[in-house]
Amino acid sequence: MPAGAVYGLVGANGAGKTTLIKHILGLLRAESGSVRVFGLDPVADPVGVLSRIGYLSEENDVPGWMRVEELIRYTRAFYPSWNDAYAEELRQTFALDPSAKIKSLSKGQKARVGLLIALAHRPALLVLDEPSSGLDPIVRRDILGAVIRTIADEGRTVLFSSHLLDEVEEVADHVTMINKGSIVLSAPLDEIKQSHRVDGRVPSLDEIFVARVGRTEDPSRSLPSSGAKGSG
Amino acid sequence: MTIPARMTVTDRRSPALAIGWEFRQRHRWGLVAFVGYLIVLAAIKLVIVTHDFPIDFDSPETFAFAFVIPVSSYFTYFIAVFTFGLDGDIAARQSMYPARMFVRPVSTTALAWWPMLYGTAASVILWTATRLLALWPSSLEVPVVWPGFLAVVLLAWAQALTWMPYGLPGVRVLAMVLWLTAIDAIVILALHFRASEAAMIAFLLPQIPLAYLVARYAVARARRGDVPDWSGAIPWLRTSGGSQPRRSFRSAASAQAWFEWRLSGKSLPVWIGVVLPFELLLFWTAGTASALLLEYLILVLLTPIMIATFAAATVRRASANMSDSYGVPPFISTRPLTNAQLIAAKLKTTLASTALAWLLIIVAVPLALAWSGEMPLVLERTRRFAEAVGTPRAVVFSLLVVAAFIASTWKQLVQTLYIGLTGRAGLIKGSIFVTLTVLFLIGPIAEWLIETRRLGRLWSKLPLIFTLLVCVKMSAAVWIATRLYRGRLVSDRALVAGAACWCVAVFALYGVLVWMLDTPHIPHYLLMLLAILAIPLARLSAAPLALAWNRHR
Repeated sequence: MPAGAVYGLVGANGAGKTTLIKHILGLLRAESGSVRVFGLDPVADPVGVLSRIGYLSEENDVPGWMRVEELIRYTRAFYPSWNDAYAEELRQTFALDPSAKIKSLSKGQKARVGLLIALAHRPALLVLDEPSSGLDPIVRRDILGAVIRTIADEGRTVLFSSHLLDEVEEVADHVTMINKGSIVLSAPLDEIKQSHRVDGRVPSLDEIFVARVGRTEDPSRSLPSSGAKGSG
Repeated sequence: MTIPARMTVTDRRSPALAIGWEFRQRHRWGLVAFVGYLIVLAAIKLVIVTHDFPIDFDSPETFAFAFVIPVSSYFTYFIAVFTFGLDGDIAARQSMYPARMFVRPVSTTALAWWPMLYGTAASVILWTATRLLALWPSSLEVPVVWPGFLAVVLLAWAQALTWMPYGLPGVRVLAMVLWLTAIDAIVILALHFRASEAAMIAFLLPQIPLAYLVARYAVARARRGDVPDWSGAIPWLRTSGGSQPRRSFRSAASAQAWFEWRLSGKSLPVWIGVVLPFELLLFWTAGTASALLLEYLILVLLTPIMIATFAAATVRRASANMSDSYGVPPFISTRPLTNAQLIAAKLKTTLASTALAWLLIIVAVPLALAWSGEMPLVLERTRRFAEAVGTPRAVVFSLLVVAAFIASTWKQLVQTLYIGLTGRAGLIKGSIFVTLTVLFLIGPIAEWLIETRRLGRLWSKLPLIFTLLVCVKMSAAVWIATRLYRGRLVSDRALVAGAACWCVAVFALYGVLVWMLDTPHIPHYLLMLLAILAIPLARLSAAPLALAWNRHR
C-alpha cells in the first residue's frame, strides 16, 4: 500500500478482514508467504512495527479498571512520538472525563477513548477494524471522517475495515474487497465506480459488492466486468 | 447466552435443562477429572484395600492427600463454577450473576434457584461419593451427614453473597471472607466441644432456605439494575484517581510493570494482609508450648507460598480481561514491546509482590511475638540453637531458611508462567490435572516406599535420580535457549547475562550447602546437583517462548 491514502477493506462477516489485520499487526504467523509492514516482519520485530501503528480494535478491549487519565499516561510511555497537546485536544473534542473509569463509559465513549490512544502518537499507519460498531451515525460521520481525512492529508495511511459500505465509500481512496480469504477486487474507488458504470449510471459500492461477492449465489446480479484489478 | 449450533431449540425446552446444560458443557473437563478421581478412589478401595496391600491408609498424611486436598480443591472449583465466579470481577460493585441471563424469559426465582440447586446437588454428590469411596476401613472417625450440609451451606451463601450488588468496590470480598469464616469458626468450635451430628445439622439446615431467599433477593436486585453507590459518603473515593496530573512513566517497561502490578501484583500482599492477622492471633494460644509455637511459626512462613500458588493463576494469565482467560488480547499484544519485555514486566511485578508480602510478615511476626509474650521463648530457643551449632552457622542457617521461603514464594508465582502464557486451554487444564494427580498420588507412594522399606534403596539411587533430572533440565534449557536465540526472542546479551546469573546463583547455593552440610555422608557432587536443580532455569526461560507462541498464532 502506498502511503498517504485511506484504504477501505470490505467484505462480509467472516471474509477475512480481521485475519488480514492480525497479520499486519503480527498477531498471526503466516503459514505461507510473508508479511512486511514498513519493510519489517511484524512477528520478528513487533516493536519496530507496532510503535508506528495506531490500532482501534473491533473488540475495543481497553481494560475497564483503568481511568481515562491512567490509560493516556500508560499508553504514552510506549510511543516516543506521542503528542501531549494533540492527546489533550482529542480528549476535549471527545468530551472525555479524565477521572472516569473505562468500564463506566458508554460504548461510544469507549470507542472515542480507543480512537484517542490510537491517534495521539500520530501513527504512520492507522488500522481501524470495524471502528463504527461503537459509534452512533452523527459521531461516526463527524469524528471518523475528520480523523481519517486529517491523517490522509498529512501523508499518513489509514487501513479501514468495515462492512458498512456507504461509510467506506465516503472516506476511502482505495477499496479492497475480500471474500473467503481472497481478494476479489482491489482498485482506487473512482476507478472501481467508473468501470462498473451501467447505462451511464454509477453504481453504489453496495451494488458492486453484492455483484462481486454474491456472484456465485446469484449470477444474474453481476454487473459488467471491470477493468479493475481482482483475483476473482 | 450463545447457543451453539449443536443445541437446537427443540433440544432444550426447559430453562432448568438449559442452565444445567451450560454448566455441564462449559465445565465438562472439570467434571471428567472429578469422575476420574472417583474412579481412582473406587479402584484403590476395591483393588488395594480388599487385597490388603501394605499401605498404611490410616495415617493423617494419606488421609490428607487422598481425601482432604482433592475434596477441598473440588469444592473450591464448585464454588467458582456455581457462583459464576470465573466470569466476573469479584471486587466490583455489580452483581457477578451474568447479565446475559437477565434477558431470558425466565422468572427471577428460576434464575437464582436452578444454579443453586445444581450447586447443592454437586456438593452432595462430592461429599457422598468421597465419604463412601475415599474412607477405607480405618480408625479415623469421619462424620456421615453434616459435612455434606456444611458444603451445601457454604456454597449457597457464597452464591448469595456473590450475586448481591454492593455499594462499594471490594465489599463483596470482605462480606464473603467474614461470613464464610464465621460459619467455619462456629463449626470448628462445635467440633472442639464434640457437638453431636444432630446439633450440627440443626445449626446448618435452617441456613439453606435462608441463603436461597437471600440469593433470590440478590438476583432480583441485580436484574432490575439496583446497584447502590456509597462512594458519595466517602470523599476520598470520589476523588481517587482524579484529574490532578501525575508523574509520567520513565519508560515503556515501567508503564507495563505498573499495568501488571495493577492487574495481578497486589493480590498476594492483600491476601497475606487478610490472612496473617488471624494466624498471628494463634500466638496468644501457644502459652509455654514451644513445639506448638514452632508449628504456628511454620504455618505463618508457609502461608505466602500457599497463597502464591493460587495468586500465580492471575500472574500467568496473558489477558487483562476476565472473560478471555487464555489468549493475549489485542490491547496487550499490540503494545510495541518484545515478548521478553512483556515477561520482564511480569517478573518485576512478582518480585515486588513477593517483597511486599514478606515485608508484612517480617514486620508483623516479631510484633505479634512481642505482644503475645512469646518473644522470650523464641529468643531462648534461638540462643540454645546458636550454642549448639555456633553463632555464624545459626545466623546463616536462619537467613537461609527465610531466603528459601522467600525464593519459594517467588518461584510459586513464576514457575507456571510457561504454561499459562501459551494460551492453550488444553495445556493449562492438563497441567492442573497432572498437578492434582501428583498431589493425590504422592502421599500413598511415600507411604508405600516407607512401608515396604524401599526408602534406603531410593536413597542409594538418589545420585542417579538427581543426575537424570539434571540432564533433563539442562537439555530442556539448551533447547529453549536455542529457540530463543533463533527466534530473536531474547537478545544475545540477555541470554549470556541470564546464563551467567544462573551460574552464579548455583555456585553460591552450592557454597552455602557445602559449608552448612559439612558431613562425609553427603558427597559434594550431590550438593552440586541439588543446587542445579534448585535454581529455576528451563521453565522460567521458556516463558518468552510460550508468550510468542500465544501472541503470534
